[in-house]
Amino acid sequence: MTPLHPFTPFLLVLATALLAVLLPAPWGPVVLALVVLVIALLLGAFRQVGAALLLTLPLWIFLLILHGAMRGGEGWLAAIAQGSRLTGIILASLLAYRAFQPSRFLDAAATRGWSSSAALLVLATLQAAPRLRARVTRILEAQRSRGLRVRGRALGRARALVPVTLPLILQTLGEVDARAMALDTRGVGTARRTALEVVRMRGLDWGSLLVAASAVVAALAWRVLA
Amino acid sequence: MSAFTATAVGFRYGNTERAALSDVTLSLDAAVVTWFTGAPGAGTSTLLLLAAGLAPLHTGGSVSGSASLLGENPQSTKGRRCLAGRVAYVSADPASQLSGIAETVRREVAFAPANLGRPREQILAVAERAMARMEIAHLAERAPASLSGGEQQRAVIASMLALEPDAWLLDEPGSALDARGRETLASVMREEAKRGALVMVASEDADWLAGWADRLIIMKEGRVMGDGVPATLLADPSLGETGAGSTAVATFARALAERDARFAAATYPVTVQDALERWA
Repeated sequence: MTPLHPFTPFLLVLATALLAVLLPAPWGPVVLALVVLVIALLLGAFRQVGAALLLTLPLWIFLLILHGAMRGGEGWLAAIAQGSRLTGIILASLLAYRAFQPSRFLDAAATRGWSSSAALLVLATLQAAPRLRARVTRILEAQRSRGLRVRGRALGRARALVPVTLPLILQTLGEVDARAMALDTRGVGTARRTALEVVRMRGLDWGSLLVAASAVVAALAWRVLA
Repeated sequence: MSAFTATAVGFRYGNTERAALSDVTLSLDAAVVTWFTGAPGAGTSTLLLLAAGLAPLHTGGSVSGSASLLGENPQSTKGRRCLAGRVAYVSADPASQLSGIAETVRREVAFAPANLGRPREQILAVAERAMARMEIAHLAERAPASLSGGEQQRAVIASMLALEPDAWLLDEPGSALDARGRETLASVMREEAKRGALVMVASEDADWLAGWADRLIIMKEGRVMGDGVPATLLADPSLGETGAGSTAVATFARALAERDARFAAATYPVTVQDALERWA
């Protein structure tokens, strides 16, 4: 399959967020979340679906208690609308992240003549989460081998926070320096970067953006006219 | 003209009382492999960071005296701009030197020359050559993060080779490499020196460096304690006072001399070949 232009998934996430707000509640956001879910399943993004459900589960519980159980009637519908909005946006974001290829993003930025420093700033932000997760895993393993108990009762878990959090902060700060050195020695920001691959929008990009933009415009028109 | 000069260079990291470098005065020529060694804390790594313009920029601290690399001041913004792409810096930890952006080794190797705006066709050709020289062409489509430490170090060195630099600053470059990798790196660095590049290597691995370095500089507590031909300095019985380690052969010869006076000598053999010539 031809990969999408690196900017397209993020524009689609933006469109999803706009639609989640603009579509009539509660069934508009529900349909939107279902559409995103079907696309995810068709793409075989089962891990992302699982992650999105796990992430939104506490939110759903919170919303159903806050709106539904406490207010009843319309409260249930409000909870479903809010939950669907969040689920749709989170799942769309995870799908965009799945499709993300950092070096193609850099090439796309270079093709458009954008500064590589600015593109790297975006990349650093996008890649912070997986790096942090990998680091937490390494620290947890190291501390467990030193006898730290990170499972069990809440008090024990709370005690384990300090020996995990402190090295995490210190190591992250250290990595920022190391990464800055690595990028410095690789000439980042010294010249206009050469795109190793000329990345341009293709039919699939224009088509999906056209559909998303049309849906946003239609939802906006409905909002204004209704 | 010397490729690297240091005149009364001193350096102190922030929040430390002891100077990492004190009154270091050196002059190094291009086309020569210069090896720096010493006990931990001798200042060899700091000297390389300083020469690369990475200290104090990324490490903090204060510098005194003056240094010049390839005719530029690596401490100044203008100097660093002029040196971009001309200097290859490699540290002991390959994981921290990967760009973290490239999905494949080929892209990792092409990353630096692309940043310098070199022509695309030239970048791709140079990247292929660099991977072949470091014997990682078969890993070209692998994700850098999925490689072993030794393979990552080869990829890092290949990514620097793709820059075709005029100066190499290598800080314990062999620590992640296996014997074959070290042999490859030594051979590539000899070729780079032959091409006319300045090669500075900081390493405590005497057995490895003694075979291919042209000049040895021994440091202790931030000061230069010895400067000369490796075979001569490593054979000196007073080497131990500097805290620097010698080769296994020289260490064995010293121990032998302590046991048996017949083997006592003004200098010890440094390599297996030396020992054979003396004793066989």
